[in-house]
Amino acid sequence: MSLQRALPVFVISLAIAYPIIYVLAVEYNWALFTYGPATGQLGLLRTPAAVGPTMYWYGWIATAALGGAALAALATLVPEGISRRIRPELAWIVPMIAVFVLCGLLRDYFLR
Amino acid sequence: MWIALLITHALLAFLLLGAITHQTLSVWAPARSKPGTFLARVRAVPSTSYVSAIIVLYIATAAMGGIIYTNYRITARFALEQGHFWKTFGAFELKEHFIAIGLGLLPAYWYFWTSPLTEGSARTRTMLTTVLAFVVWWAFLVGHLTNNIRGLGT
Repeated sequence: MSLQRALPVFVISLAIAYPIIYVLAVEYNWALFTYGPATGQLGLLRTPAAVGPTMYWYGWIATAALGGAALAALATLVPEGISRRIRPELAWIVPMIAVFVLCGLLRDYFLR
Repeated sequence: MWIALLITHALLAFLLLGAITHQTLSVWAPARSKPGTFLARVRAVPSTSYVSAIIVLYIATAAMGGIIYTNYRITARFALEQGHFWKTFGAFELKEHFIAIGLGLLPAYWYFWTSPLTEGSARTRTMLTTVLAFVVWWAFLVGHLTNNIRGLGT
């Protein structure tokens, strides 16, 4: 597939896959790495910080970015007839759904 | 140092807010005739020229916010928890998630704004801009609110 045809498939697939993986990463804590802000300690996967709180947010973003990019790259390899079925509208519909799902996951903070 | 970073982060966010608001208004309500009023001039901007600035400002603001977040996590967040500011706490958590979702949107946003406009892509372009505008407005307002409750260095 030429770059001209692969690029829209890649960016649309990334916009679809990234928010789905991000929400799953948040819900199931699929952090690629952790950070301990009190000590500056980096850890692989879900390694807790030795002192103070452990931050997972950067790890979730890394998981979603790498996972989304890998799936988007795979999408560019499928035959053109199939890749054309990936609707461009999904590039904003899926992230918008992810926003609502995240609101649902954190609803307890607003119901206290 | 944290206060200088926070002020720079806020200034970048302010520039981003202005750019994305101009662009969102120009795609939803483009000025049809020669703009006369202030609001019409706000809508009459050449929206394509904002794309690179919005992407650069979004990444720069998010990166700087990501650095400041480490300090927030060991200082301000505890104050929010101890003060039982749960709604602000939750809104700030959402801000971080929305910013992350927005980062994943940027390649599609860039593509649909730089590729030739077709009827099908016009709506996608408009909606990507709108989702990004929502993220930026939420992040700006919640960041400001959180800083009012327990800002860095207070």
